[in-house]
Amino acid sequence: MPETASRRVVVTGLGAVSSLGTGARAFADAIRAGRNGVSPIRSFDASGFPHTYAGEVHDFDPRQVLRRLRVEEWGSSSLLAASAARLALTDAEIDPAQVSAARAGSAIGTTFGESVVIEKLVSQWVNEGLKDIDPVLARRAPANRIAAAVNAELALTGEAHTIATACSASNYTLGYAYDLVRTGEADFMISGGADSVNRWEHAGFYRLGALAESVCRPFDTHRSGILTAEGGVALFLEPLEGALARGARIYAEVLGYGVNCDAKHPVAPDPTSIAECIRAAHRNAGVRADEIDYICAHGTGTPTNDATEVKAVREVFGDRLPPISSIKSMIGHTMGAASGFGALICCMALHDGFLPPTANVTEIDPALGPGVDCVPGTGRPASPRIVQNHGFAFGGNNAITILGRVA
Amino acid sequence: MTTSAPLVITGCGVVSPSGIGLEALTAPRNGAAQAEPPEGEFPPIPLAVIPDLRVEDYLGKKGIRTLDRTTRLALVASNRALATLDTALSDEDRARTGVVIGTSTGSIRSSSEFSRETLVREKPYLVQATLFPPSVMNFCASQIAIWNSLRGVNATIADGRVSGLGAVSYARNAIIQGHIERALVGAVEELCPQSAWAWHLSGALAPDAAVGEGAAVFVMETAEGAAAAGRAPLAEVLACEVGTLGMSDVRRGLATCIGRAMQRSGVPGAAVTTVSLSASALRGLGAAEEAGVRSALGGSLPAQLRTAGLLGESFSATAALQLADVLAAWRTDPVAAGAVALVVVTGDDGNVGCLVLRRPPG
Repeated sequence: MPETASRRVVVTGLGAVSSLGTGARAFADAIRAGRNGVSPIRSFDASGFPHTYAGEVHDFDPRQVLRRLRVEEWGSSSLLAASAARLALTDAEIDPAQVSAARAGSAIGTTFGESVVIEKLVSQWVNEGLKDIDPVLARRAPANRIAAAVNAELALTGEAHTIATACSASNYTLGYAYDLVRTGEADFMISGGADSVNRWEHAGFYRLGALAESVCRPFDTHRSGILTAEGGVALFLEPLEGALARGARIYAEVLGYGVNCDAKHPVAPDPTSIAECIRAAHRNAGVRADEIDYICAHGTGTPTNDATEVKAVREVFGDRLPPISSIKSMIGHTMGAASGFGALICCMALHDGFLPPTANVTEIDPALGPGVDCVPGTGRPASPRIVQNHGFAFGGNNAITILGRVA
Repeated sequence: MTTSAPLVITGCGVVSPSGIGLEALTAPRNGAAQAEPPEGEFPPIPLAVIPDLRVEDYLGKKGIRTLDRTTRLALVASNRALATLDTALSDEDRARTGVVIGTSTGSIRSSSEFSRETLVREKPYLVQATLFPPSVMNFCASQIAIWNSLRGVNATIADGRVSGLGAVSYARNAIIQGHIERALVGAVEELCPQSAWAWHLSGALAPDAAVGEGAAVFVMETAEGAAAAGRAPLAEVLACEVGTLGMSDVRRGLATCIGRAMQRSGVPGAAVTTVSLSASALRGLGAAEEAGVRSALGGSLPAQLRTAGLLGESFSATAALQLADVLAAWRTDPVAAGAVALVVVTGDDGNVGCLVLRRPPG
C-alpha cells in the first residue's frame, strides 16, 4: 500500500475530440446509442490498401476550441490533445486563472506521437532528400510537443509528460495524474491521450494481419481485427475536497490503478500477466473483484485480444464475469488515446447511469465460454458503482484503472 | 518526495561517445572523433559517435539482428547498470522492478524508414511486419523488460530534452507509491541521418557543436531497500523537479525550478559543489540556462560540467548522460561525502528540470 498521506481524487471535467463528435456529451450520447464513427479514409491516399476504413475525426476545426495555441505551429496530435484539454477545463467550470496559478500539469498518452508530421517529413525525404526537409516542420516532430501543447494552451507550469507507452498510455497518465493529486504534488492535473491516423500504422497493422476491412466486432464470432483511429481525450482531476467546496459536478472518483509488464513478447499479450495487473489494480484501489460492476475492455477486435482478455478476466473473476464491452467497436482503435476514451466513458457511465455497448455484435463467440455479457447493440440503463478500465499495449505494457461513483 | 525517505542510485550503465562505462567519461577523449558513424548520409557537421560498439559482447549474438540502434544502446546501458550492482537482482526482485526510459520520439530512424517503405514499395502495405513494433515508441523499454525479465511498470517518457528527469519523476512516484520496488531509469538517443539533418537545418546548434548520441540507465531504489540488499549507493536523489516553468522566460523559470528543488532537498545553496548544465551545445538556450542557474544560486556558479559540450547534443538522452557525468566526476574528484550536485536541464518547449544529488558517505 502507498505510504504517503492521501486525499481523494475526482474527475470533474471531460473533453473529447472524436469521430463521434466534439465534446464529452456528444461523444457519450453517440456511444450510448451504439453509433458508428468509422468511415473511408480521407487523411491519406489509402487507395493502394486492400482495407480503406478508419475512425477519423472529420470536420473538426481546433481554432473553434483553442484560445492560446497558434494552430499553424503545432502538429495534429498536439492539437487534438490541447483541444481535448481545453474542452475538459471548460467542462469543469473552474476559473482557468485559478488552475494556471496553481501547481497544475498534464500527462498525455500516445502511440505514434506526431505521426502526421513525421510522414510529411518522410515524403520530403523521398521526393527531395534529407537535405531538403523543412526544419520548421522537423521541430514539430518530437512527441514531447503533445503534453507541452496542453500546458501551453492552458498556461500550466507543472509537469508535462508525454507518456509513450503505446495503446495503454492514457491509463498510465490517469494513474500518474491521480498519484500527483492524491499526494498533494499537484493541485490539478490533466490526463488524456492523442493520436492521429497515419499510413505507417495502417500498413503495419495490415501486415500483422490485424486490420479489419470496415467493421470492428469485438467478442463476435465473425470479428476480423482492429480499425485504426484517432482522437484526443482529456480528464480534469482535482481533490474531492476542493470539488465539493466549489460545488463542482463530479463525474467519478479515481480509486486506483495497476501497471505491469508481461516481459515476454513484443506483440503477443499474456493472460496471466494481465490477470496480475487486474489484481494489482484492485489492491491499489482497495476494492474486491465482486465489487466491480462493469469492465471497459481493451477489446481491440482481434481474436487474440478477445481470447486473452476474457481468459485473464476469468482468472480473476471466476465464472461471474461483470458485463464487459468495447467502445472500439464504434470508434476503432484510437491507440494512445484509447484507454483515455475508455476512462471518459466510464466516468459518463457512472455519472449518467448506463453500461456502454459493444456495437456490431451478431453472435457472441461461444469459444469465449459462458457468461460473456458484452452489452451488444446499444447502451443499457444501469447503476454501476465501481468500474474497471483496461489498456494493454505492444510490449506487454498493461495498465488498468478503477473508477467509482462518489459515495 | 521527502527528505526522510530518499531514493538512491545503486547501479549505472552508460554508453556515450566517450565509450562504455563511467570510466570512459573521465578518461582522456581520443577515440570519439575517429568512430565510424552509423549507415546513411549525414550533414557536414561534427558528429559524436559511440566508438567500438560491439553490442554482441554484452548481449550475445542471439536476437540482436532486428534491434534498432536506440534499443541496442539502451539494452547495453541496462545490461551494464544491472551488472554493476553490488548484489544481483533475484527473479523475485525482477517481478517488482520497473523500466522507465526517456526518448524523443522512439527511434526516429525506425519509424521514418518504416513510413518510407509505404511510399517506395509497389504497394503501400508491402512493408516488413517485423519492423513494425520497433517503429512504436515503447519498443525500447519493453525490450529492456523482455531481455531482463523485469515485470514491473514499463513506461516510456517522451519529454524532449528533459526526458531523463521526466523518467526519474515518473519512476520516483512509482517506487514511493509502492507499484514497484526499484526501477531501471534512464534515457536514450541514437545518432541517425534523420535527426542530424533536422539539427543541422534548424540552426539551433552552437558553432562547431556536434550532434551526439548515447544512453544512460540507472538502478533507482529506496535507501532501505538498497541497504537491506547490500547495495551501496552511488548517489542519493534528494529532489527532482520538472515543469513547463520556462515557457515565457527560460531564465526565470529555471531559477524557480532550481529554487523549488533546493527547498525540497533541505540543503543550503552553499552545499552545491557541482552544476551539470545541459544546453552548452545549443545557441541561445545555453546562455539562458547559465543565467537561470546563477540567479537561483545567488549569482555564483560552482564547478560546472558541460556534458553536451563534450559529448555532443543528444536531445532526449541529455539529462541522463549529465547524471552519469556527475557520478563519473565523483569517482575521480576528491569531493567530500555530502557534496551536492545539480543536474539542470532546459528544453526548447518550455520544460525545465533540476535534479539534486548528494554524494553518499563511504
